[in-house]
Amino acid sequence: MKRNNDWKLTLTSTPMILIYVMAVFCIIAAIRQPAFLSPATLVNLCRAGIFTMCFAICEMVVIISGGIDVSFPAIGCVAMYVPMYMYNNGMGVDNVFFFFGVAMLAGLIFGVLNGFLVSYLKLPPLIATLATSSVASGGLIMLLGTREFTTLPPSLEALYSINLLTFVDPNTGFNYPLTILILVPIILCLVMAYVMRYTMLGRGLYAIGGDSNAARIAGFNVRKLQFIAYIFCGVMASATAMIYTTLMHSSTTTALMGEEMIIIAACVVGGCRLTGGHGGVGGTVLGVLLITLVENNLNMLGIPTSWQTFAVGLVLLLGAVLSSVQAKRISKMGKI
Amino acid sequence: MKSRNLQGKAAPDTHMLTIVGLMVLALVIMAVLQPGDYFTLRNVRSMIFQFPEYGILAFGMMVCMIAGGIDLSLVGIMNFTGVLAAMIVTKMTANGSDLSMAVPAIILAVIVALAVGGCCGAFNGFIIGYFNIPAMLVTLCGLQLYTGLAYGITGGPAINGMCDAFKNIANGTVAGIPYVLFIYILAVAVVAFVMKSTVFGHEIYFLGSNAKASRYSGINTLKVTVMTHMFSGILGGVSGILITSHLNSAKSSNGSTYTLLTLLIVVLGGVHPDGGKGRVMGVALATILLQLITNAFGLMHMDDNAKTFVNGCLLVAALLLDAYLDKRALKKKSE
Repeated sequence: MKRNNDWKLTLTSTPMILIYVMAVFCIIAAIRQPAFLSPATLVNLCRAGIFTMCFAICEMVVIISGGIDVSFPAIGCVAMYVPMYMYNNGMGVDNVFFFFGVAMLAGLIFGVLNGFLVSYLKLPPLIATLATSSVASGGLIMLLGTREFTTLPPSLEALYSINLLTFVDPNTGFNYPLTILILVPIILCLVMAYVMRYTMLGRGLYAIGGDSNAARIAGFNVRKLQFIAYIFCGVMASATAMIYTTLMHSSTTTALMGEEMIIIAACVVGGCRLTGGHGGVGGTVLGVLLITLVENNLNMLGIPTSWQTFAVGLVLLLGAVLSSVQAKRISKMGKI
Repeated sequence: MKSRNLQGKAAPDTHMLTIVGLMVLALVIMAVLQPGDYFTLRNVRSMIFQFPEYGILAFGMMVCMIAGGIDLSLVGIMNFTGVLAAMIVTKMTANGSDLSMAVPAIILAVIVALAVGGCCGAFNGFIIGYFNIPAMLVTLCGLQLYTGLAYGITGGPAINGMCDAFKNIANGTVAGIPYVLFIYILAVAVVAFVMKSTVFGHEIYFLGSNAKASRYSGINTLKVTVMTHMFSGILGGVSGILITSHLNSAKSSNGSTYTLLTLLIVVLGGVHPDGGKGRVMGVALATILLQLITNAFGLMHMDDNAKTFVNGCLLVAALLLDAYLDKRALKKKSE
């Protein structure tokens, strides 16, 4: 009896539902556009998913700790703009470590600011990070102006041209290179999966997200953990922004703005609850895959691009409703 | 009950004084820096033309925040209703050439905008109340959904070419006073009446201060949540009409900075982010304070982004002030 129940629970769990949805999406897309089934789609999907994946992991950590961070696009913009600005004005060396270092330093500063506002001043995370976001983006443009850097320094160009493998479409002859930077989200996911599940730090983040008072009494340093979550988010988002610059050959002051909706969507669809304490790397990965799939291949289903915003909103809403229904179901089961 | 009322009255008063103090400070600074340009009738009038569209939006945010939630979808509702209104007006008057239909077209546009705004809000409220999902998440989805609808309907480009009568709603004056001022005062009066003198308004305050307790005391929380967000959506519809008329164009990405701006106004106006506290007058004063600052930046030819920066700093400052006042009130009470 119990075995039977477990089996049912697995088949109707959030990750499984995501997999069903993705499978249905792929089948419909493949029927409408047989070209969808080419490995090129997979390569493109991986490329498009790199930033979304990294950002989603950052956001996931903050959401699990019971907060929310809507400032990472602004922080990312600062982080991608400042090193390029410094380089183009003759300050700085042409070295990959320099670019990433400066970017992550910028992320660290704003991460500390977020952490300070949320954990010491106890401001509501949404409002605090909104404020940080406007301080970061407003201050950046005010101080450094709006330029667009579209030529990479040689060291980043070298990083860009390292590919893991290159798929050549036999029909069209187009190249679909898979960059080495795809390893960043993969390693990040593996490390975070371990940290969140098996270390005191990860368990502490879950604990303060579930009930910060109980966590405090149980001996967790709530302030420190909140600080760590926001700093991690800021630093990692900055590194991701630098990856964005490398891959897109572009660094502007507003390139990432508006990205936060999609990222939060991916986390929530993947089973993170905004009230904190729930969610995991596995679910988030599936959420990111689904969102990336929908975002990049909606036209394959015959939906015009002007309706994409609406479609993404719909997916997000359904994800939120789904996870709420799941939560209710599980809490009912506990009572029986 | 009585003590809560007393406390509720004591705290915002200091807050109100702070806002008035800041307004005086802004005026004094401007009197020193730009005495010639700032205190002219033309400047005052240009300020009045600008603030009602986001001032009314801020009331929508205020109502939801007092109820313990937040409404991030207001800008989406505003643009969606604005697009619908613009479509109705341009279609019925054949791009402004057939003026015989202007008045019925405008009336229909206003009704549709308010009704659709109400429906969007009610939809938000239903999802929040029925599924127990945090308001922030639902309205974030709502923002995406309604912006997406507006974008999908227009296909991207802005809708232009409204007739003059429609443009006049936000750009016309009577005896030198802009119409929008009357609309704003009317909105303030309605919101103040609803929040102060109706059962619904008091239920909003109860729901915000303790959702569980209000459910146990027999308030239909689902109904109140739906109605709160509907109210906020209707206000979104009003400012949709105003912004479309003011800019003489409707598109999905108008006023994207208004979300932060309304949040700032509401928090600056003394509404507690956790709900249960806040007064209409505080929010109205905060709106005017912000307009004074925005205008000052404009006159000094400062960059728009400097404004964003200052707004962010102000938001944090307002929150810190709130926390400090709360602490002091608590200390006084314990003494």
